[in-house]
Amino acid sequence: MIRPIARRVLTGVTVLWAAATAAYLALLAAPGDMVDSIIGDGADTPGIRAEIIREWHLDRPAAVQYLDYLWRAARGDLGRSYLLQRPVAEVIGAQLAPTLKLAAAAAGVGVVLALTLALAARRPWARGLSSTVELVLVSTPPFLIGIVLLSIFSFRLGWFPVSGDRGAAALVLPAVTLGLPVAGTLAQVLRDGLDRALEQPFAVTARARGLRESAVLARHALRHALLSGVTMLGWMFGVLAGGTVIIEQVFGRPGLGQVAVQAVGAGDMPVVLAVVVLGAAVFVVINTLADLTYLIIDPRLRRT
Amino acid sequence: MRPVRITAASLVATTLLLLAGCSAEPSGAAAGPGEPVTGGSLTWAVETEPITFNPHQYAQAKTRLLVWNTFEALLTHDDKGGYLPWLASGYQVSPDGRTYTFELRGDVTFTDGTRFDAAAVKANIDQLRTEGYAPTVAAVQLKNLDRVEVKDDTTVVFHLSRPDVLLLDFLSSPQGAQVSPRSLREARNLKAGGPELAGTGPFVLDRYTPGQEVHFRRNPAYHWAPANAGHTGPAYLDEITYRFLKESSVRVGALTSGQVQVIEGVPATDEALISANRNLVLRRGLNSGSAYSYYFNTAHAPFDDPRVRQAFREAVDVPAVLAGVYRDTATRAWSVIGPTSPFYDRTLEGSYGGNAAEANELLDRAGWATRDAQGYRTRDGRRLTVRLVQSAPFVRDRRDVLAQAVQAAVKQSAGIDLQVRLVDQGTATQALADGEYEVFDNSRADTDAGAALNLLLHSTGAINRTGVRSAELDRLLDAGVASTDAAKRTAAYRTLQRRVVIEQALALPLYAPQDQIAAARTVGGIGFEPTAGVPVSAYHLWLAQ
Repeated sequence: MIRPIARRVLTGVTVLWAAATAAYLALLAAPGDMVDSIIGDGADTPGIRAEIIREWHLDRPAAVQYLDYLWRAARGDLGRSYLLQRPVAEVIGAQLAPTLKLAAAAAGVGVVLALTLALAARRPWARGLSSTVELVLVSTPPFLIGIVLLSIFSFRLGWFPVSGDRGAAALVLPAVTLGLPVAGTLAQVLRDGLDRALEQPFAVTARARGLRESAVLARHALRHALLSGVTMLGWMFGVLAGGTVIIEQVFGRPGLGQVAVQAVGAGDMPVVLAVVVLGAAVFVVINTLADLTYLIIDPRLRRT
Repeated sequence: MRPVRITAASLVATTLLLLAGCSAEPSGAAAGPGEPVTGGSLTWAVETEPITFNPHQYAQAKTRLLVWNTFEALLTHDDKGGYLPWLASGYQVSPDGRTYTFELRGDVTFTDGTRFDAAAVKANIDQLRTEGYAPTVAAVQLKNLDRVEVKDDTTVVFHLSRPDVLLLDFLSSPQGAQVSPRSLREARNLKAGGPELAGTGPFVLDRYTPGQEVHFRRNPAYHWAPANAGHTGPAYLDEITYRFLKESSVRVGALTSGQVQVIEGVPATDEALISANRNLVLRRGLNSGSAYSYYFNTAHAPFDDPRVRQAFREAVDVPAVLAGVYRDTATRAWSVIGPTSPFYDRTLEGSYGGNAAEANELLDRAGWATRDAQGYRTRDGRRLTVRLVQSAPFVRDRRDVLAQAVQAAVKQSAGIDLQVRLVDQGTATQALADGEYEVFDNSRADTDAGAALNLLLHSTGAINRTGVRSAELDRLLDAGVASTDAAKRTAAYRTLQRRVVIEQALALPLYAPQDQIAAARTVGGIGFEPTAGVPVSAYHLWLAQ
C-alpha cells in the first residue's frame, strides 16, 4: 500500500510545482513589470518606483526571486498581496469556504438533475424533451441563466435574496445557475452510457432472469453509466471553478473567482500563484477521488 | 448655437441643485422621507469594492463615501471651493505661505478610546512618510512638507519648504484623514485597513466580508460634525451595510425589489426605469477634479504639430458622440477642469469643436493632404494613425464604447485613423512607458482641480503623458498653488485652461464624470459632497419609519 500512495504524493507534488512554475513564467513573460502592476493607475515617479522596488525586493534577479518564492511556498508562506496589502493566505482563506460551498451545491444540483434527466429519457416520449432540455442548458451562458433566475425568483417573486453568502436561501439561485450547464452535459454522458449498457449481454441476461426493466436499469446499467460520469469529475471541477467567477459577480457573493480575476487583471503575482497552485491541488485531489470511486463502482478493478 | 446654450443652462441648473444639497421633490409623487428620524438600518448596494479601508491608501474615488463613515480630516470643503473646520477648529497661514498653524478641537476621541490631539496628527504624517507605506502621498501631496511641529496639545504647525496651498486640500482629503495612533502602531494589516483601524468618524466599521459587504454601526459618542453637515450629534442610522454588487442590472433589480434601499452607479439605460417608478428617486452629481479628456502625446508625430491636434479636436462632434453612448445623460466637458470647479473657465463653452470643415483644412495645411484607398489621410505614403491604449481594469463608464464612437467620428469627418486597444494593465503601462501611444485618456477626481493639473500638465508631473514641457504652463501651475488667494488662483487656472484647450490643443475634453444615486423615497439625506461631487457618507442619511 505504501508504494502506490508515495507515488501518488510524488505525482501530486510534481503537478503543483509544474503549475506554480508555469504560472510564474507566464507572469514574467507578461508585458509590463511588477512595479507597473503595483503602481496601477496611480502617480508614477522615479522616487515611487524606487521605493516599491525596495519594499518588495524586486531588484533581485528573476531566478533568485523564483527560488525564494518556491522556498517560502514550500514552508507554507504564500507572501503578501501587492494589491490588497494582506497576507495571501488570509485573502484566499477568507474566500475558500463560500466557493467550496457554492461548488458543492452546484455539483449536487448538477448530478441530481442529470440523473433525473437521463433516467427520464428511458421513456420514449420523454427522450426528445430531455435531450432538448440538455441542449438548452449546455448552450445558455451561465451569466444569462443567472440574470433570468434573479429577475424571476428574486426581483419579481422575492423568494430568494440576491446577494451574499448568508444561509441556504442565498445559495439556491447561484447553485442552480452553476449546476444547470453541468447537468446538461452530464445527462448526455449518462444517457449514452445507459444506452450502451442496456445493449450489453449482461443486460440481456438480467432481463432473462426475469428482472423488471427498472431494476435492470438501477442495479446494472446505471453502474456502467456512472463510470463514464465519474470520468467527467475533472471536467466538472473545471466548469465549476470557471463558472464561479461569473456567478460571484452576478450574485454579489464572496469567493475565489473574483479574487482570481482581480489578481490577474492587476498582475498581483502572489495571489495569482496561490490561486493556480490551489487549483492544481484541488484537481489532484479530485482525480484521486475519481480513481477511488472507480474501485467502489466497479468491483473488477479492485482485484488488480 | 441654440443647443449649446441649452446644455450650458441645464448644466448651471444641475450645478445649483447639487450645491443646494438635494433637488426639489417632483409634485404629486409619493410621500418623501419627511423630517429626519433616528434609528433603523439601511442597505446600500455599491458598484466598487474598496481595495483597502485604510484612508491613507485611498485611490478610488468610488470609495470616498465609505471613508468618511469612519475617518475624518482636519478640514472639509465648503460649496464654494473653500475650507471649513472639522477636526481642526481653525488655521492660519503665514504671509510667506510656508507655515500653516492648525488649532485642533480638544473634545475628539478615536473610537478605540485614544484622544485626538496634535501628537496624533504628527503620528499620521510620520506614518505617511514612512518608507514603504504610502509612496504616492509622500512623493506628491507631501513633497513640499518639511516638518510637523507639535506646539501644544491642540496646536500643530506644518512647516513647508515652499508655498503649497494644496496642503489644505490634502488635509481635507481621505489620504490626510486621521487614523488612531494606536491603530497605526498595532494593526496587523495596517495598509489593508478594516475593523482593526479606528477613526473619529460617526460610524465604526465592525464587519467586512470581502467580496460581499461591509457593515458599519453608529458611534454613539460622536458630536463633532462639520458646520455644513446639516445636523450635529450621532448619526441618524443605527447601522448601514454596503453590499458589493458589480452588475448594474442586479443593483437595479435589488433596489426595485426592495432588497436594498439605495444604489449607486445607475446605468444610462436604466435611468428611465427608475425615474418612472413613483417609489424611487434618482440623483446625479458631477464629480470635481479634471474632466474626462483625451490628452495628446506631443512628443512625436503626428501630434507634435498643433494643427493636427486641433484637427482631431474639431473632427469630433462631442454632443453627438455622447448622445449615442450615454443617451443624453452625460454632461459635455469644455475644459480639462470639471464644470463644478471654482476654477472652471465658462468662457470656453461653445468656443471650439465639431467643425469638420476646419479639421480638414487644418490637415491639408499640415501636409496630410492625400487619402488612401480606405479614405484615411496620408502624408508621404504614411497613414494618419493615432493610437489610444486603454487598460481594461480601469475602464469604466463605457469608455471603451465611447472610444469606438470617437474612432468612427474622426474617421468619417477627417480621415483620421484612431486605433483603440483595450489591453491588460501590464501591456498598457508598457505602451505608455515606451511612448507607443498618441492619445491617452484620463479623468481625476481630485477635489482641487489644481492637484490633477499638476500631475497631468506640469513638466515634472507624475502622469504627464502629453510630454509637454512648457515654462509658461509650469509658471501658471506653480502660481496656482503658491497663494491661498482664490482670485489669484482662479486667474492662473483660467489662463492655463485657455492655453491648454484652445491655443495649444493639448487635450480634447469629452465629458464631466458623474455619480448617480437611486434610492427608495423613504431614504432621506441623499446627496453629494460639496466640491468633490461624490455621494455623501452615511452620516447624512435617515430612514423614514
